[in-house]
Amino acid sequence: MYPQITSAVPEIVIDEIILKYRDKPGMLLSTLEEVQEINPLKFLSKETLSIVSRKLDVPYTQIYSVATFYSFFNLKPQGKHSIIVCRGTACHTKGSKALLNEVGPILGLGTEEIEIDPSFTTPDNLFTIKTVACFGQCAQSPVVAVDGIMYSNVNSQKLLKILRKVKSNPNP
Amino acid sequence: MKITINNQIREVQEGLTVLEACKTIGINVPTLCYLKDVSTNASCGVCVVEVKGARSLLRSCITPVFEGMEITTNSQRVMESRKVNVELLMANHPQDCLICDRNQNCELQQLTFDLGIDKKRFVRTRKEYVHEDKTSLSLIRDPEKCILCGRCVAVCSEMQTVKAIDFSGRGLKTKISTFFDLGLGMVACTNCGQCALVCPTAAITERSEVNEVWKALHNPEKVVLVQTAPAIRIGIGEAMGMPNGSLVTGQMVAGLRRLGFDKVFDTNFTADLTIIEEGNELINRIKNGGVLPMITSCSPGWIKFIEHFFPQSLKHLSSCKSPQQMFGAIAKTYYAEKTGIDPRNIVVVSVMPCTAKKFEARRPEMDGAFHYWKDKMNLTQESYFYDVDAVLTTRELARMFKENGSDFSHLPQEQFDSPLGTSTGAAVLFGATGGVMEAALRTAYEVFTGLTLPNIDFNAVRGMVGIKEAEIDLNGTKIKVAVAHTLKNARILMEQIEAGTSPYTFIEVMTCPGGCLGGGGQPIPTNADIRKKRAESIYLEDFKKVIRKSHENPEIQYLYDHFLVEPLGDKSHHLLHTAYTER
Repeated sequence: MYPQITSAVPEIVIDEIILKYRDKPGMLLSTLEEVQEINPLKFLSKETLSIVSRKLDVPYTQIYSVATFYSFFNLKPQGKHSIIVCRGTACHTKGSKALLNEVGPILGLGTEEIEIDPSFTTPDNLFTIKTVACFGQCAQSPVVAVDGIMYSNVNSQKLLKILRKVKSNPNP
Repeated sequence: MKITINNQIREVQEGLTVLEACKTIGINVPTLCYLKDVSTNASCGVCVVEVKGARSLLRSCITPVFEGMEITTNSQRVMESRKVNVELLMANHPQDCLICDRNQNCELQQLTFDLGIDKKRFVRTRKEYVHEDKTSLSLIRDPEKCILCGRCVAVCSEMQTVKAIDFSGRGLKTKISTFFDLGLGMVACTNCGQCALVCPTAAITERSEVNEVWKALHNPEKVVLVQTAPAIRIGIGEAMGMPNGSLVTGQMVAGLRRLGFDKVFDTNFTADLTIIEEGNELINRIKNGGVLPMITSCSPGWIKFIEHFFPQSLKHLSSCKSPQQMFGAIAKTYYAEKTGIDPRNIVVVSVMPCTAKKFEARRPEMDGAFHYWKDKMNLTQESYFYDVDAVLTTRELARMFKENGSDFSHLPQEQFDSPLGTSTGAAVLFGATGGVMEAALRTAYEVFTGLTLPNIDFNAVRGMVGIKEAEIDLNGTKIKVAVAHTLKNARILMEQIEAGTSPYTFIEVMTCPGGCLGGGGQPIPTNADIRKKRAESIYLEDFKKVIRKSHENPEIQYLYDHFLVEPLGDKSHHLLHTAYTER
């Protein structure tokens, strides 16, 4: 069985988070960041954004505008492990696209999807693959971050090995 | 102050932008995203000029002039930069101008031509194709045609305070979105169509019903009736190549007849009817301690706005249907009965300056005539019909006229048909902000006091001020009234009501700037100057009428004597009044 996706962060939890940041600079960003973090699937659902919008009196569209602008925010449930592939110029020349193209399909990601939407979660909810414009680690390119740990000079065999290791670790 | 433009020293007013300063001395700097009074997003880079001392080219729409400024608007650097900026927009813009709704009325198309761009130089950079948003009954959005100028976002949030749309995403993925891309039909959009009016391309257009109307016109079994809103006669001329605000009532009627409509009727007739019902409702509320202030209910954008944003105040709305809906209900009951036509064969087409009217006509409660006949004719749900079958905007009617080869400069001036075509000067005022108020006051005064009004012109409620106020002395009973246009101003009056500080007895609200004459279905362009011209024509049409008070309309009196019996009576209740929905 795949883990059940639960989208709702209880309203009372959101209330507490809002109280913490109310009337402080960057209130909306801080609130959204923490609300996302508290969700086990690390994302902002439509319901959650609606609640935050009403409570902060920020229009729905403006919240959506902010949430889609920053790549940090996720609007879809995230997998248990995150794989972030750098798509900066240096990593690109060292084959980061090939890396996506080779590893993506093994995890169930279609090549067309890589082209259009660089955020994909595997059907078993285990991995989410995303891209980033640049990690700033160009000397080590190509660079991939798995669960927040940076791996340098990655090729597809190395990446698959890392993923196998991560998969066997129940507590990332 | 003195500035130099293209090597010539000129005297210009302080506080202007470079763009405005250039305009005052006869230089039109091209613009695309900029729209006077609406948007200074400064995103397109078309209006750039060279300023001595500045490192880069400056956007003239947001750069203020300063003493001794040296501006060049036509250097090679400026002209090439403008071209490149437009060419970059073209890279992602579809090249289907021939079949586009805004063909020959598109600012991007015009600019491409004006700047002498003769080939498509850059390939598409956007990777995904964004689908059309067809969720709304009134409007269709095609993000592929969007150039991200931000005008629609500006009118929606600033003029209307609705905020149904905003930018989403970043970089190449930037687009105009509703919340979670649910679509306009699924979010708090009032369907006002001001976004469509300011859109430079065809990224937002009305949902066209032209084909349905042609089909009805070509069906010999159908009796097709048309009604025209007050603001069509002062708008449609523009779309037919005449000067702004041309008053073309007679040519419009002649043109409609030549399109094949069986009867050409007038929404002004039911505007008069609205005044009788609404005037009596107001008097009733004043005399019997009803909910005050009472607010007008003719403007469907406003209705949806209050349903979304102030649902606890719905009791303040007049229960009167809008003139469009009263017409549909009366046409398929009274007129059907009088002429012996099967109401199932009557097709009511309205021509409205409004996109929200398309939504209004499909509100589930707008089927009074069906319920009127249901028992009498043993109708089943299969033969269900709405009171109004199709709603065309002014722009859609212009397209039909053009398709039909109508030439307004040669059409004779003809009269509306009877009996739903006779109207007073009061009715035509519905097309301008303050008009419903003035029309209602003309009638309410005389009905309430039993006296003849000494001066029928209520100048205090005329004009383009955002919120207008007046105090009326109803022979000893003094009432305060207010008139608001655009939803930003309506919101101010609603907040007063909810705070319990509203001093008014009666309030008129119109969704669009200037009232219906500036409606979202009117010809493009519509701007402050054009709205003023259209308003002048509205007041001229009122002035020219012999009868200028709704309750003196002989056909309305006949309608009450032979069908409705009395204002606010039983038939009125079922056919002319409605209820509202919390959203």
